[in-house]
Amino acid sequence: MTGSVWELFFLVFFGLAAIWFGIVVFRTHSMVRSALALLFSQTAIGAMFMVMQAEFLGVLQIMMMATEMSVMALFMVMFMMDPGGMGAMEMSHQKRLSLRAGGVGLLAALAVSWLADWGPAAASIPDASRQVELLGIELLGRSMFIFESAGLTILTSMIAATMVAIAPRKPGGGT
Amino acid sequence: MIVELSVTLSIGAGLFAVGLYGALSQTNLVMILMGVELILAAALVNLVAFWRYLHPDAMSGQMFVLIVMTVMAVEMAVGFGIAIARFRSRGSVEMEEARELKG
Amino acid sequence: MIMLALTLLAPLLAGLAIFALRRAAEALALFGAALGLLGAVGQMFAVVDGATPAVVVPFLPEMPLRLTASPLTAVLSLVVATVAIFVLTYAVGYMRHDPQKVRFFGTMLLFVTAMQGLVLSGDWITLLAAWEMIGFASYLLIGFWHDRPGVASSATRAFLYTRSADLGLYIGAFLLIGVAGTSEIAASLATTGTPALIAGLLLLVAAMGKSAQVPMQDWLQRAMAGPTPVSALLHSATLVAAGAILLIRAAPMLPTGALLVIGIVGGVTAVITGLIALAEKDLKRLLAASTSSQYGLMLVAVGAGAPVAALLHLIAHAAIKSSLFLGAGVFQHDRNGTDMKSLAGAGRARPGIFAGFAISALALAGIPPLAGFFSKDAVIAAALAAPGAVWLAPLALAGTVLTGAYMGRALRVLGTGDPGDLAIPVPFMAAGLGVLVALAAVLGLGFGPLERLLDAQMAEAGLLAPVLGLGAALSGLALGSLVAPARLLGPLSGLAQNGFTIFGGMDALVLRPALAIAAACERLERWLYAAVLRIGRINLSLGWIVRRADNEGIDGTIFGLVRQTIQTGTRARKLQSGFIHRELALTVIGMAVIVVVLLAAPLYS
Repeated sequence: MTGSVWELFFLVFFGLAAIWFGIVVFRTHSMVRSALALLFSQTAIGAMFMVMQAEFLGVLQIMMMATEMSVMALFMVMFMMDPGGMGAMEMSHQKRLSLRAGGVGLLAALAVSWLADWGPAAASIPDASRQVELLGIELLGRSMFIFESAGLTILTSMIAATMVAIAPRKPGGGT
Repeated sequence: MIVELSVTLSIGAGLFAVGLYGALSQTNLVMILMGVELILAAALVNLVAFWRYLHPDAMSGQMFVLIVMTVMAVEMAVGFGIAIARFRSRGSVEMEEARELKG
Repeated sequence: MIMLALTLLAPLLAGLAIFALRRAAEALALFGAALGLLGAVGQMFAVVDGATPAVVVPFLPEMPLRLTASPLTAVLSLVVATVAIFVLTYAVGYMRHDPQKVRFFGTMLLFVTAMQGLVLSGDWITLLAAWEMIGFASYLLIGFWHDRPGVASSATRAFLYTRSADLGLYIGAFLLIGVAGTSEIAASLATTGTPALIAGLLLLVAAMGKSAQVPMQDWLQRAMAGPTPVSALLHSATLVAAGAILLIRAAPMLPTGALLVIGIVGGVTAVITGLIALAEKDLKRLLAASTSSQYGLMLVAVGAGAPVAALLHLIAHAAIKSSLFLGAGVFQHDRNGTDMKSLAGAGRARPGIFAGFAISALALAGIPPLAGFFSKDAVIAAALAAPGAVWLAPLALAGTVLTGAYMGRALRVLGTGDPGDLAIPVPFMAAGLGVLVALAAVLGLGFGPLERLLDAQMAEAGLLAPVLGLGAALSGLALGSLVAPARLLGPLSGLAQNGFTIFGGMDALVLRPALAIAAACERLERWLYAAVLRIGRINLSLGWIVRRADNEGIDGTIFGLVRQTIQTGTRARKLQSGFIHRELALTVIGMAVIVVVLLAAPLYS
């Protein structure tokens, strides 16, 4: 079908973009470029969501990631030794182990995805507005408890993060 | 045999591999967090693919995605809080110098 | 009873007092001996009146210790006490310059106590104990001057020879006790038959040892190494008499066979030791051999069935021989030695002492009216009347001839020669000697009453015995004083001088084996001791091994375990590098393992 061919094409296009930007994140010496590359990678993933007709999620992803990556860029500049990447220092360690770990994980996941029998394809997909409606019902129905606890967890972690980040008032300084 | 599903899952696998490589090989805490971001994003991709091609009627798939996104955000926040605290006490966030927990 | 106690306790307490106080030895000795004599005299009076004082002391069940003063034992006790006191009087003068007076008088008194215990004993156990004690006292007294060369070995030899013969007494006494069921001597003498024969022969063995009969006569020769008072008291009148006393007391029990053997042993001894005496070159040794010879004659009398004759000769001999020894002692003091060459003419310097010596010598030879004549007469009469007269009579007569011979020789040596320097008066010695000589002279008068007291049946007093006896005595005296001993003995002279040793004598038969056994026992004991030590050391090493096993083995295991645990912990520590990337890597690996395990669940569940 034409729809599925185009779908496949865009999936592959955005997917490869996401992967390529992901690699750039770790290969570039400049910290700001690294953050931006991550931003583009997450955006490509959001586009993939939209291709797969999960519009709400896609938009959510793009919005969230944009904000996050900006903050991250700020933190990069604050905390990096060499934000601009002008120095030529090697900033990675146990490379072989990491490469091997990545390789093994890739192969395992590929094997699972291509060799497993996933069953028959879905018949039809609800359209966007219907999806939102169903999502709301789901949210306020079955998943109410999850979200409530999620909300509490977020609150707690926010408080925790704030406390960790606040400088202590004691004169001796502390951790 | 759903080709799109397999392809998307492969994309997810690639993202996961890159993220894993980054998380294990970077010296800076912020870079490690970025690697973890990529891993979580790969999980999200896989989740959405499974929802779309296998169970589009069950909204719990999208629910899961929302939860994961929340977790991502929270984790980022706490991670950066720690980074600030570390930077304040030592002056850098290089993980090479963080040997206090050495046994 | 009091007299009995006095006889025994007076010398004992005096001896102990001497050892305790270590002073006034002579006075205490004479005092003790005098009291003892008093006791003996009192006993004699009691016995003459017809009483039989006795003392019974409880000891083993059914075998109490008894002391009895029967006529026989009371007479013997009196003899012992009398000779003892006069010899001690003599000893006061003899030992005047000796530094060991205390030891001498103390031991002498202890000997007197033991001897009195022996003669007065009423049961075999007391007799055995007293027998041993006199042997021991003899050993101490013979070896009195133990610093001088040869004295210690003489004492040892004497002790060993008599000790080995004492075995006969032990076995015989136990045999009699067992057969009779009681240890009382008088009761056990009722035994008859084979036990009596065997017991008699065993008692003979003991008597041969103690009275220096052939073949055990050599120890008496050697015993002359002791001081002269010792020779006078022990080895003439009392200790050597113990053998004869034993046989006299046992005489009622002895069967004919035993009597014959006793008589022959005595006779052979009389002759052989007489020959030895004739060949001797030392005066005291001559007298010692003479003692053996006289006791041989006493055994002849016992063997002839006339123990009272033996007793009479014993009493006479006690007085005679002791006075002869005392005289020899005086001459020894004069000439500093007793061999015949140095004593030549010593008698001429001391006429009084020599006269006493001569009287005793003649008494021994058997010249009337001295005591020796009567006792010799009794012995020869008994020998002639005995069942075995064909053996006993010639031996007895030969003994008498030899007695005269050697006494004549001694008189001749002492009486001819250079008198030497003026003699120092010796009052004590002369006093002791004089009394005994007087006794030797007049005792003959008392023999009649004595026979009546003892209810003795003496042989018919014919003329044959006195004539033969006198003839033998006179011929002997003539031969001895006129002819040199070498010519007299002829071919026997060399043997006689050696003491007729056969097969190496008692030395080889008794002394050397006994000493060899003693040495072997010493070696055995040392080996056992070393073995015990070795066992102890093995135990100790075992203990050490166990301890080391415990230390190294068990402790080693435990501490090794501890060490291994610590090492494992140290190695495990390396995982905790503190690096975040390492931790992350470990986390990833761990998760991969979990995933694999979970995914493989269908395979193993």
